[in-house]
Amino acid sequence: MDGFKISNKSFEFLKNIFKDYYKNNIIDLPDRFGRREFAFLFFNGKGMVRHLSFNKKIIFNKFLINRYPAHCYYSSAYYTIPDAPTMQEKKWMGAELIFDLDSDHLPNAEKLNYEQQLNLVKKEFYKLVNDFLLNDFGFNEKYIRLYFSGGRGYHCHVEDPKILHLDSSERREIVDYITGRDLKEKLLFSEKITNTRKLKSGKNVPIEKTLIMPKPNEPGWRGRISRGLIDLLDEIRMSNDPVKKLQEYGVKNNAEKLISDLSDERINRIKEGRLDQSKTIRKFFLNNVLRKTAVTMSAGETDEPVTCDIKRLIRLPLSLHGKTGLKVIPLKIDELKEFNPLKNAVALPEKSVKIQLNQKFNIIMNDEKFNLHPGENEIPSYLAVILIGRKIATIE
Amino acid sequence: MTDLPVLAKYPFLKESKNYVKENEISIDELLNDSIYERARLIGIERLDNAFNKRDVGNRALATDYDCIMELLSYPIARMITVCIGDIYFKRSYALSEAVHSYNYLINESTSNLIKISDEFKFNIKYDKNNKKFLIYFTDYLKNAPTRYSQWKMINRVMENGYISLSSKDFTRIIQEALRSRINNELDTRKCSKIINESFKSDIIRLSKLIEKHRKKIEIEPMGSLDENKLPPCMKEILKSIQSGENVPHMGRFAMVAFLNSLKLNTSEILQLFSTAPDFEEEKSRYQVEHISGKTSSTSYTSPGCDKMRSYGICPTEKMDELCKRYRHPLTYYKVKWRNK
Repeated sequence: MDGFKISNKSFEFLKNIFKDYYKNNIIDLPDRFGRREFAFLFFNGKGMVRHLSFNKKIIFNKFLINRYPAHCYYSSAYYTIPDAPTMQEKKWMGAELIFDLDSDHLPNAEKLNYEQQLNLVKKEFYKLVNDFLLNDFGFNEKYIRLYFSGGRGYHCHVEDPKILHLDSSERREIVDYITGRDLKEKLLFSEKITNTRKLKSGKNVPIEKTLIMPKPNEPGWRGRISRGLIDLLDEIRMSNDPVKKLQEYGVKNNAEKLISDLSDERINRIKEGRLDQSKTIRKFFLNNVLRKTAVTMSAGETDEPVTCDIKRLIRLPLSLHGKTGLKVIPLKIDELKEFNPLKNAVALPEKSVKIQLNQKFNIIMNDEKFNLHPGENEIPSYLAVILIGRKIATIE
Repeated sequence: MTDLPVLAKYPFLKESKNYVKENEISIDELLNDSIYERARLIGIERLDNAFNKRDVGNRALATDYDCIMELLSYPIARMITVCIGDIYFKRSYALSEAVHSYNYLINESTSNLIKISDEFKFNIKYDKNNKKFLIYFTDYLKNAPTRYSQWKMINRVMENGYISLSSKDFTRIIQEALRSRINNELDTRKCSKIINESFKSDIIRLSKLIEKHRKKIEIEPMGSLDENKLPPCMKEILKSIQSGENVPHMGRFAMVAFLNSLKLNTSEILQLFSTAPDFEEEKSRYQVEHISGKTSSTSYTSPGCDKMRSYGICPTEKMDELCKRYRHPLTYYKVKWRNK
């Protein structure tokens, strides 16, 4: 992480505002904090100070007030000696399972503005937590902690004692499950023999087979892939030019025939898993490109290295993100939908401050619309921190 | 289930160990008493079979005597393996015991399978209607051979954290659990002097066999690098570094760790990078020495294919047949090097 190369006055402003925050707010320490490593980045930009440990809450809060770090981290792992200088000497005891979803990692996110990115990440994050962690993996909600990261994403910590000892390659399997990697679609589609004929030798040979896919309400990936295919089918039917859409997916022959074959009734039967209703429909479900698309559409997203790393440093809940001034805030799954980081994670004061802006900037923060022009602007402190963090504003 | 044939078939069970304890058979008796001569012979037979056939071998279990000798031969074989000490032999012996048990387990009834699996404290349920074992996913991950695609978790049916398995697949899970338990036992125990003395000639004989076999399969490539034999990932990274392209940190790290594992020294590694237009000797030297453990507490090993893939530095479109067969860039290089 790079340091801030900004004016001295901006520097002082950030330091003071962070200092005040830590003076006025007591930061709770995570469970079993005495077994964890802590690490910090400061506004001097001199690199990470790590291998620290705290055994008392009061000492920790004093540290924050005296040093007002720009970024606070703690280990998802528990160690026998958390402040030992090397990882081997720390002696690993176990680690929570961490999922990190950041808009940087979503395809096409760079085309969206900050608010749109935050929304997209939220949708993906909900899918990850609800569809995968709660449903497929069956984690109890009491073991799942969700946080807004203070930046462009969300974190999920799974604290179920049953997973603390999983090693890195076992965690990688979990990531592969969620992201749909190496799914063998062939295992999901089967041909069922519906009619046989007896040969002279007495052997039965199949003469009629029917293609079956899992029902949409089946558990895990079986149901997921079939819901994905049905969604895809719906998307194609509802589009303005279904035939063209089909051709985009590589269905060149009989695209018109397929569309006319797909009556509502037939769609309902497809939802029961019965695919052999006409030659063209059968062919549609045997199409590999479409299957692959359905997998991608229904797969979850997560930052792989984070989840596989059993010694990861993660942002401390309720601390401030040094580049946005937003608070790392804990969330419940049902709060996620309504959660607006640009309102609910705002932790710094309203007090206005004069900044020099070097480009146009629009944002809605705390329900207020800001249309800022290059040059001098007087804005709330919480917004000034974001702009300085993005290196598009300074305090002169 | 205290019948002797079961104990003899599955000598790793706690019950089997208790049997030895309850009957107060001392090590001294086991090693010297002529009554146990047969157990000692079978112990050696287990090892020879493990070395030659990858299965410790079947023997008749018709009488109580047969069963007791079979049961006692297991701790003897295990103690000797510890004294031989060779890591490859330990692994291969553990596998042979596990395969041997699998061949018995596959014919067991559901209730026996469940009883035996209790030994490993799995979190399981049995679905009577569908005749499936439901195993909690962490136990599955610890034991399933997920390197094969049909064993990957994504290709299994999971509901509420439980993965459903056929009886045959569940038996395979027990086999793997057994294998890692034996490996663990072999790694944590120390060679006892008495065993070393009693089986001196067999230990020497087996050690020689193993050594010979090992030399055959293990000619290590070292020193100079043959760039043509590099796996596609390393070829890509090296090419990019040499042409001064922007290589992500993890890529540089993987490259240096890889070369370090091949025992190239700092200056040899630097020489490879020196053609880069942006080559800075001081900076590169610092990084190389850090990764090779010269200036840090750890000598890092080269990341495996899984990790390379996670970091997006495995050029999947350039994977070749060898890539598909091995799971580590170093293995790829070594195999290619050996087949020159």
